[in-house]
Amino acid sequence: MTFRLTCPVCGKRDVYEFTFGGQDRGPRPAQEGLSAEEHFRWVQFRMIPGGWEGGEGGGVREGDRAAPQEEWWYHGQGCGVWFRTTRDPGTNREVEGGGGG
Amino acid sequence: MVADAGAKTGGGLADRGSPDPSVGRPDCRRPPSHGRLPEGRLPPGPTCRVDLSQPLEFSFLGRPVTGFAGDTVASALYASGVRIFGRSLKYHRPRGLYSMEGESSNTLMAIDKVPNECAETTELKAGMSVRAQNVRGDPQTDRFAFIDRFDRMMPAGFYYRLFHRPYRLWPLFQNGLRRMAGTGVLDPRRGLEEGIRGEGGIRVEGGIEVEGARMGSDVRAERYLNAEVAIVGGGAAGMSAALAAAERGLRVCLFERRPWLGGHLVWRVRDFEGEPLHRRAEKLAVRLRAAENVKVFTSSPVTGVWGENLVTGFTSGAEGDLFRECHWECRAKTVVVAAGCMERPLVFNHNDRPGVMQVGAVWRLARTYAVLPGGVAIFSVGDDLSLEAAADLADLGVKIRAVADAREAVRQDAALVTALEERGIPVLAGWAASRVMGRKQVKGCELGALKGEASRRFGCDLVVANAGMQPRIGALATVGARLAYCGHTHTYQPVELPGGVFAAGSMTGLRDPRAIEASGRLAGERAVESCGGSAPGPDESLPEPAPGCDIRHGPDIGRGAKAFVDFDEDGTYKNVVESAAQGFDVPELAKRFGGFGLGPGQYRVAGQNLAMIMADLRGDPVETATPTTVRPPLVPPSLATLAGPGHDVHKRTPLHGELAARGAIFRRAGPWLRPRYFSEDTSCRKEIRNVRRNVGILDSSPLGKFRIFGPDALKALQRVYISDMRKAPRGHCKYSAMCNDMGQLVDDGVVIREGENEYYFTTSSGRAGSTVEWFRYHTRYDRWDYNLVNLTDVLGSLNIAGPNARRVLERVTDDEVSNEVLPYLGCRRITVADGVEARCLRLGFVGELSFELHVPSSYCQFVWDLVVEAGADFGIRPFGLEAQYCLRAEKGHVIIGAESEARVTLTDIGMGWLWDCGDTAAKKVGAPALRACEKQPGRMRLVGFRVDEGSGSPRDGAVVVDGAKIVGYVCTTRRSEALGWQYGMAMVREGVAVRGGRTHIRQEETPGRGESCSATVVPTPFYDPGGRRLRA
Repeated sequence: MTFRLTCPVCGKRDVYEFTFGGQDRGPRPAQEGLSAEEHFRWVQFRMIPGGWEGGEGGGVREGDRAAPQEEWWYHGQGCGVWFRTTRDPGTNREVEGGGGG
Repeated sequence: MVADAGAKTGGGLADRGSPDPSVGRPDCRRPPSHGRLPEGRLPPGPTCRVDLSQPLEFSFLGRPVTGFAGDTVASALYASGVRIFGRSLKYHRPRGLYSMEGESSNTLMAIDKVPNECAETTELKAGMSVRAQNVRGDPQTDRFAFIDRFDRMMPAGFYYRLFHRPYRLWPLFQNGLRRMAGTGVLDPRRGLEEGIRGEGGIRVEGGIEVEGARMGSDVRAERYLNAEVAIVGGGAAGMSAALAAAERGLRVCLFERRPWLGGHLVWRVRDFEGEPLHRRAEKLAVRLRAAENVKVFTSSPVTGVWGENLVTGFTSGAEGDLFRECHWECRAKTVVVAAGCMERPLVFNHNDRPGVMQVGAVWRLARTYAVLPGGVAIFSVGDDLSLEAAADLADLGVKIRAVADAREAVRQDAALVTALEERGIPVLAGWAASRVMGRKQVKGCELGALKGEASRRFGCDLVVANAGMQPRIGALATVGARLAYCGHTHTYQPVELPGGVFAAGSMTGLRDPRAIEASGRLAGERAVESCGGSAPGPDESLPEPAPGCDIRHGPDIGRGAKAFVDFDEDGTYKNVVESAAQGFDVPELAKRFGGFGLGPGQYRVAGQNLAMIMADLRGDPVETATPTTVRPPLVPPSLATLAGPGHDVHKRTPLHGELAARGAIFRRAGPWLRPRYFSEDTSCRKEIRNVRRNVGILDSSPLGKFRIFGPDALKALQRVYISDMRKAPRGHCKYSAMCNDMGQLVDDGVVIREGENEYYFTTSSGRAGSTVEWFRYHTRYDRWDYNLVNLTDVLGSLNIAGPNARRVLERVTDDEVSNEVLPYLGCRRITVADGVEARCLRLGFVGELSFELHVPSSYCQFVWDLVVEAGADFGIRPFGLEAQYCLRAEKGHVIIGAESEARVTLTDIGMGWLWDCGDTAAKKVGAPALRACEKQPGRMRLVGFRVDEGSGSPRDGAVVVDGAKIVGYVCTTRRSEALGWQYGMAMVREGVAVRGGRTHIRQEETPGRGESCSATVVPTPFYDPGGRRLRA
């Protein structure tokens, strides 16, 4: 866990300075008519190629490789900005051009 | 030069070790003061690092021993005749000096009551008390030595397989084994005796500053570095790489684990290009220390190289340093790994006897520490460096009976063979040691031909053995380089390096000093290029790596029951065979099953041998052998160093000094240091009574205080607060709470509308630090226009509480604060004294008439003084957090973390009335979860209870029971003076939560033993249920 992230304000900094805000799963779903299951999936589950992890059509399959994903990070020890970046959980590295979203 | 280098490299942390290396250490060559050579010592040569004129007294097992300045603990003990340094883990075999590099646990000793210190690398200091480990009594006559004869009872994996049946006897065996096997013993009293505490430590800035430091031997420091090129290893290659990079203006940090630069050249006196090799290293070191932009860290082993080229390690403090060990991390653009080589241990029968040593250990004893390693020696080696060592040691007076070389004659350096033969030493090509004679010490050695039956026996007191060289691949392995077996060098070589990482020097198989330096320069230039510097000059062509030696074990190994592959865990050749026979036939499995490489030596002793032997046992080609994973730390720092200097970094309120003067007993509360009590009475009766009957004052400055404004401020409040914030009228404190997406209560406080699109709100003190993050996270997709300002540290807060609170307040302000103008939950701005603007909030957390004054931090003391003076007639007195905790609990007010936890939702604790459940448009955080759990059956509920008189007094955390079944737990319980009985709040299952219901609470101090008491479920608040007092 010693990789670095590119803060859109401060540039490349040690990961220790950031708080993880989870995978980018899109805006908060509308609550009118939202089922509990849909809500908890949005809160708890990870999106993987082909659907939700553990959901229908999803689930980790043999041979699946961690794919780069959009993530939220908070630069709490720095400028205090929430930003999106693309990172490959398989290598822990930001994908080229992923910083500063 | 020396002083200048010290300044340049940032003080005492760096650049210690030898004085100006260009002149060696003239002192060291001075004869001892009394003119006679001490026993066991050689006349000091040009490479000697000890000063025989400076004796140091220390003790071994309580007996006085004399060493000399520059010695390590091990070299001093060896010179004084100590041969057995400790006993082995499993068999209690005598163990002695082996590598002088700390590669095995043989010489781990307790030094000044600190266990597991490496005697081979620890610098000797006067007055040290040294003891052997894993020994009953003297290591010479260890009482458990008999175990060695019972190896048949301890096959590989015996710990997992035997002694488990019958199962009830296992604890007996386990405890017995733990007593007999094991390494050092921690002395828990040690820290207390020396007065070591968490405070103290140092701050390093620029040079070194001492900040309230206890200048002691136990101070741990930490340091964070940045470099364009970090270099692992200060040998010829590392220094050349540093110079190449520094010459092009790059910032370089070089880390060397030994106390001096020069790698293995510093003890070699062989002539090369007209000068001895150690001079060549010294010249490089002089150039390096004169170079701009280079920081040199000696006595600084690297513990690992991590993602994106973070190099970590630690520096051992030397004389004059303000720390004992300093942990550092260096974020580098590029890393040059020039870690050099170590010797691959030769596996043969009884290869662990004291007196069997690696070539480097013997050579350095003689050349670096001026210790006579032995009288008569046998060599069984596998590379040219060892042949050079044999010739050199012969010149120093060690009688060498024979040199066996596992390689064929054509692979040897002919000049070195000639040099040996000139000295009358027979060189046996294609031979190796097959066994050692002698029990507590080497008495003889049998050499055998690797092909054929020939063998010869020699009497000797020293066996110098290795199986050739292997690179120190640790740093490369931890950074993620791909390593593969090279059939030419017979070592693991990097075949794919991560970006910005380069390897150089003897670890790449080079042996010629010129080639090693050239490879260093080349790596330095590649690093420059990788940093975006000018392209390196034309490639210097490097020679082919020298061929290596592929011997697996000595001839005639037999069962190999006492041929050790791993010294730390007593893993023998026989154990490898057993592991393989039971299916654990790859190194990673054998490591778990037989313990190979699990000890302090890790990969270094066992790694390559285990992989090669296992490949043979499987019948696979050796190229397919995968060694065990190299685990960090590559060299172990002490746990205290990893724990750090132990600074207690905390926040103090503006009134800290005042409260301390009034006898506050401070405790940590989140980041703050806050008064918990104002007397030794931890039940705080006087403080509580004074608030209930009179008036008290609380410093509530850590309370989170925020201003939010802008067109979308209300939308943001609506999102994170669970109540309807549109209903917050001006001049009124609207109490509400924040939930997370699971419906769990995370924060509560009041929100005050102060103007159009302008709000002021408070949070609990523990949440103040993460409130901005929380707001912005939950509105991150919305692009709302609002500003959030954290005023927590800007504003202090004083809480005046008690029936007389208004009378006190009226004395310090001319503004109207009557119940009509400022009713319960009212809020208005008042002016204190002549001009201090204050927000005055009428809240009732403690259940009495109370006013909270929020004033600028800088005015806190002034306002405090005024209030305390005004309240003197009433007997105002400060109260602390414990009193507040009890006062609010009597009112049934919850504290997050006390009455709520991760499984508990807002509705579970009876605060569902805060939730504006009709509003779905605001997408309130937590609302869907609350809706899902609201009517869920089987949830726990928060209830109040009254402990039945005379039935006992449970404490926080006691369990609520129904017969043998646990049906809840006590969150908070206290005896109340105002009520006259013990009250409490508990989370309980349905069925128990019936008003008037009888419950039982069980308090267990130790499992299975405890007292039970009964309680009755009662409504909250316990105190002043009608709330008349806080509305007074």
